Amino acid sequence: MTTITDVQTTQVYQLFIKATPEQIWEAIINPEFTQKYFYASRIEFADGRRRSFGPNGELWGDEAILEQDPPRKLVHEWRSLYDPEVAEEPASRVTWEIEPGEDGASLLTVVHDRLEGAPKTAAGVAGVGWMRVLSGLKTLLETGEPLA
Amino acid sequence: MNDDDLVFRALADPTRRLLLDRLFERDGRTLTELESEIEMTRFGVMKHLRILEEAGLVVSRKAGRNRLHYLNPVPIRLIHDRWIDKYTEHRVSALAELKTQLEETA
Repeated sequence: MTTITDVQTTQVYQLFIKATPEQIWEAIINPEFTQKYFYASRIEFADGRRRSFGPNGELWGDEAILEQDPPRKLVHEWRSLYDPEVAEEPASRVTWEIEPGEDGASLLTVVHDRLEGAPKTAAGVAGVGWMRVLSGLKTLLETGEPLA
Repeated sequence: MNDDDLVFRALADPTRRLLLDRLFERDGRTLTELESEIEMTRFGVMKHLRILEEAGLVVSRKAGRNRLHYLNPVPIRLIHDRWIDKYTEHRVSALAELKTQLEETA
């Protein structure tokens, strides 16, 4: 049985996307794109912060950007604010790595770690949580249409 | 072989499914740890892990001196989105049609 304590403290997600690293980077940092695949949230990267806003402009996240090397690597903190219980947990960390590949496909790897002190966050993002985002990002970039 | 073929081929083996289940229970394991839980030679486990990695179901990353293996659920999700949804939606709509037809004739 999967309980919250079983949830992994490092989660790795990897997929090929038929797009250039520049296109993938743009889709990650541009709020016009993120609202089409990231739970309808507008995510802004500015002034060393990653801020995400819900559909009605409510603040869903305000995290430090730890490293950025466009269009190859982006590291930021992760702390969800939309649920008070989850918001109490310490920040975890998300790393995006983009590697150019053959025949126009790039390999995107997302590592969500430092989840040791954040079991509710870990359970919330595990499996379907990140996969909906990444599957939606792939569909958006490859077809121009959001995932239904 | 396309990406889906690689995933289906990788899943069509009980040892490889067992390895995925072990990683699902606890992720980020070394070859030595995985080997200790499966009655198979180190070489055999390596061979199965390589097939799982080729299919993208397992991702290995270096952590200090170790190489840790992680379950990557994305390929299964993509197959789900592309295949399973398609058929289950069809079945649901077929049932909905049947209901409409039955109710119309009733």
